[in-house]
Formats: sequence, C-alpha cells, structure tokens
Amino acid sequence: MTAETPIMGLFTDDAKAARAIRELTAQGFGFRRAHGPLPSRRIAEALGLKTSKVGWFTLVGGIIGFFTGFSLAIFTSTQWNLIVGGKPIIALIPFFILGFEFTILFSVIGNVVGLLVCARLPDYKGLELYDPRCSGEHFGVLAVCASGRERELMDFFQKKGGEVRVFP
Amino acid sequence: MSELTFAQIDQTVLNTLERPRRSYWGAVALLALGVLLGAGAWTYQIFTGIGVGGQNVPVVWGTYLINFVFWVGIAHSGTLISAILHLFRAGWRNPIARAAETMTVFAVCTAGLFPFVHLGRVWQVYYMLPVPNQRLLWPNFLSPLMFDVVAISTYLTVSSLFWYTGLLPDLALVRDRSTGRRHRIFRVLSLGWTGAHSQWLNYSRGYLFFAALATPLVISVHSVVSWDFALGVVPGWHTTIFAPYFVAGAIHSGLAMVLTLMIPLRRIFKYEAIITMEVLDNVAKTMVLTGLIVGMAYGTEYFIAWYSHNPVEWESFRWRAMGEYGYGLAFMVVCNVLIPSLFLFRRVRASLRCLFAISLVVNFGMWWERFVIIVGGVAHDFMPNAWGLYAPRLVEYCIMIGSFSLFFFLFVLFCKHLPSVSMTEMKETLHHDG
Repeated sequence: MTAETPIMGLFTDDAKAARAIRELTAQGFGFRRAHGPLPSRRIAEALGLKTSKVGWFTLVGGIIGFFTGFSLAIFTSTQWNLIVGGKPIIALIPFFILGFEFTILFSVIGNVVGLLVCARLPDYKGLELYDPRCSGEHFGVLAVCASGRERELMDFFQKKGGEVRVFP
Repeated sequence: MSELTFAQIDQTVLNTLERPRRSYWGAVALLALGVLLGAGAWTYQIFTGIGVGGQNVPVVWGTYLINFVFWVGIAHSGTLISAILHLFRAGWRNPIARAAETMTVFAVCTAGLFPFVHLGRVWQVYYMLPVPNQRLLWPNFLSPLMFDVVAISTYLTVSSLFWYTGLLPDLALVRDRSTGRRHRIFRVLSLGWTGAHSQWLNYSRGYLFFAALATPLVISVHSVVSWDFALGVVPGWHTTIFAPYFVAGAIHSGLAMVLTLMIPLRRIFKYEAIITMEVLDNVAKTMVLTGLIVGMAYGTEYFIAWYSHNPVEWESFRWRAMGEYGYGLAFMVVCNVLIPSLFLFRRVRASLRCLFAISLVVNFGMWWERFVIIVGGVAHDFMPNAWGLYAPRLVEYCIMIGSFSLFFFLFVLFCKHLPSVSMTEMKETLHHDG
C-alpha cells in the first residue's frame, strides 16, 4: 500500500472551495473533509451531501417522552387512588400537559444525542489534520495524494486560488 | 454591517475576552456582595421560619412568587429572539441572539430559586419529585404547581442545551486563537469541533429542531405559570385570558431587559458596528407590538369583569384601581403601555438614552404588574372579613436584591469569559448579504 500525504487547500471563498472539491477526484486525488467557519450551501452541493439523520433521534425522543410523561402521571395517580378536585383518577387533559412537556424534553435530549452521534462529537483526534484558520475566515479542503504527487496537489490548490498547508 | 469582514467580527468579539480591568472585578465583587446578602437573608429565613417574610393570611404569595414570575418572564424573550426569530429568518436578531439566550438561562436559574425560597422547609423539596419513597407518596400531577415544576425544569434544560449547542463553533474559534490554560479549557469545551462538512450538516439540522421545539415550549412555560393562578378559584385570577396575557407580558419584559443589557454591552465592548442602531430599533418596534398586546389584555380583563355581571369579580377589579394598591395598577398601565408607545416615534427609537430609560421603566412596570396580579387577587377575594394587605419585609427585600445581583453577576462573568456575540451567526448574515 502506498503512503498517502494529507494536504489542505485553504480558500477565503466557499465558491472556490466548492470548485476545488468538484475537480479534486477527477484529477486523481482523494478527498477527505471540508472545513469552514459557517455552513456553506455551495460546499454541501459540491459534496452531494444527503439529509442529516438527526431528526430521527429527535422524533424517537419525542415519542418516548410523550409516553413517559403520560405514563408517569397515570402511574403516580393510581398509586394514590383518591379523587382530587372532582377530576377522575386518570384525568387526560391535565396529564396531556405533562405528556407535552416530556415530549419536548425528550425530543431535545434525542436531538442532542443525535447531533453528537451523527457529527461524531466529541472528536479530539480530528484536530490533528485541521488548520485553525478554518474557524476564522478560511474554508479548508483536506485531500490526500499518493507519495510523490504532493507537488501536483499543491499546484492544484494554488491554481484554484487557495493557500496550501502540508501535514507531516 | 455589510462593511464588516469575518476577521473584524472575530477580532471585535475576541477583544472582549482580553484580561479585564480592575473596575470589572470591582463590579463583580459588588454583585457578589449582593448575592451574599440574598443568601444570608435566605439562610436566616431557613433557620427562623418563613414567617420572617411579610406573607400572611390571606396574602400567602408575596415577593417570592412575584419575583419568580418576573424572572421567568425575563427569560422568555431570549427564546423569542433565538428560536422564534430564527425560524422567521429575521437576520437582525443575530447580533443579540447569544446575549439574549444567555439572559434566558440565567433568568431561569434565578427564577428557579424562588420556589425553593418560598417553600420554607426547603429540605423537603424532594416531595415535588416523582421519586420512590418509603411512604408511597407521589406528586399530584393534577396540580398546576406540579405542571410548573415540570415546565420550568424542562425549560432550564432545553434553554441550557440550546445555548451550549449554539456556542460550539465559537468555542472552537476561541480555542484556535488562544494559548495556554485558556486553550486547554476551550479545547475540552468545544468537543473537538472543526467545522467539518459533516458537523455543519448535522449541526444546522439539530439547531433548526432546537428552534422548532423551543418555540412551543416557551409559549407553554408561561402559560403553565399563568395557570398557577388561573386554575385557582380566586377573583381576578380565574380567567381564560391569563395564558396569552402572561406570554405577551413575558416577551414584553424580556425585550426590555434585552435593551437594558445590550445598550451598556454595546458601549463597553465597542460593539457599535455589530449591534447596530437598526437592531435596537427593531427591538423597540417589537416592544410597541408587545406593549399594545399587554394593553389590550389589561383592557380585556376589565371588560370581562364588567360584562360578566359578577359582583365579586367586578369588586376585585374596582379595588385594584381604587384600593390600597391602585398606584400599582397606575404603574403598570403607564410603564408597560403608555411609555413604550413613545417608541412609535423614530426620534425616540434613535436615542440610546431614551431606549435605555424606557427599558428600565418597562422592567419596573412589569414587576408591578406581577405585584398587582398576585397580591391583588388574594388580598381582596370573596369574603370581606378575610380581606388583608401585604408589604414585603427586610428579608424579602434582601432576597430580591440577591436575585437581581445573582442575575447580573452571572451575566457579567459570562461577558468577559465567553463570546457574547455569536460570531458564526454574524458571519452567516454577512455571507448571505454578500
């Protein structure tokens, strides 16, 4: 197996970064990641990204939350089987409020879990091949090339209007 | 704003995190003293008994509940700005969204203390939690007070997670621009965020869901707070308009607090290019709307009392205007409806002094609104022989000072240690404008 060298092209404009991503694989280089200080639609289109799956976690969280809230209210009121305030032991309308609050709470917890799982956070190893300028005003395109083609990849990024950073 | 560059935004915000001056630590120390005063008063109350406050029969709910409702209300506009205006794609909210979200978190923390203070025997707080216990006692979830426990806990959890999620990209930026201990702390806090495309894809989606979930939550929370009163068969409380009335009032007071915090923040941190006059102008215009809604609610309450032909209800409202606390009603009408209407004039909205002064007036008026509702209801209910009056005592004043100090203490600490403007959202605005 040939050794791969990671090289990052840094662009001040996401349109240039997106053009570089589109042409990268056609030139025989491997694309690894794109970094940026903000979500870029142009880069997402160039990468052909599919929709995030975070929503499924949110939905499952919400469903679990609704039934948890409702069940908790029913369970606690059946443990103390007395009519209070003229309402039935299992009073659907007040318990719906609890169900609603738990729906939101568990949806949000599901949302956070989904975000962490789908975005693979925390990820401190990702910082090894990362340039701090990408959190400021640069869009970074991390690519790899076979050993001996480093110059070609660097030239490619420079032609596309980017600066180059070679990782050891 | 379009003249700004990404680098200028970063630099302006990062400058605020420079080592603070002595005057800053002086302010922190003063606020910490206020917090200690409140904590001391509370400790005294715990050891002496809840009777050290001015609460009595019939006015069993005094400043503790007034401050609880006041701080929950303050929390609301943070979510309005960060979630509801995010869904409406109102770009002007971006410069103030972070500070407003922070205000929400700290205001809910402050509000959440008051039920504990009001409990008296605070060590028995676990009675409100659905935990298995020896006596097989469970909370009564038919009670609006239990709705409140669940709603406020949910709101605190959701607003804290929303706030932290929004902070992630900015924490990474601070990590990348710092060295030493600060770098190590922010490296951990930013969870290894690198702004990779897969992270942004999931982050944007997750943030949108956060906003979509926080929107019904914020409306439900103050509705639930209003039901603490509306579900009680007390004249002046037992009315169906309380939920929208409270929500509108909450947003009104919260927007006022946003102005109270943003105007000094803008000046001290030299945020003029970011928090432009247009942003403050839009907040003021929104306050005209919320002020009119609040005014309509005040009028509707009187209309309902008159139209119902219910003598007890009408007497309660007559007494609110003409009785011992008539001045409170005057404060709330003048401060919350009439004075904010001055924002209809462009010249008033263009003056920082007027914006700041009116925001303080509205904060004052909204506190009095809660006083009139909470004390006014129980002080003058069905039976004339049970009527009574209420005045806060020294312990309550100290705890109130403590609560305001705690809120500002936390906010002042936040401003110098975390980015008080969302650099990411500012860049997004600039990116779209460009």
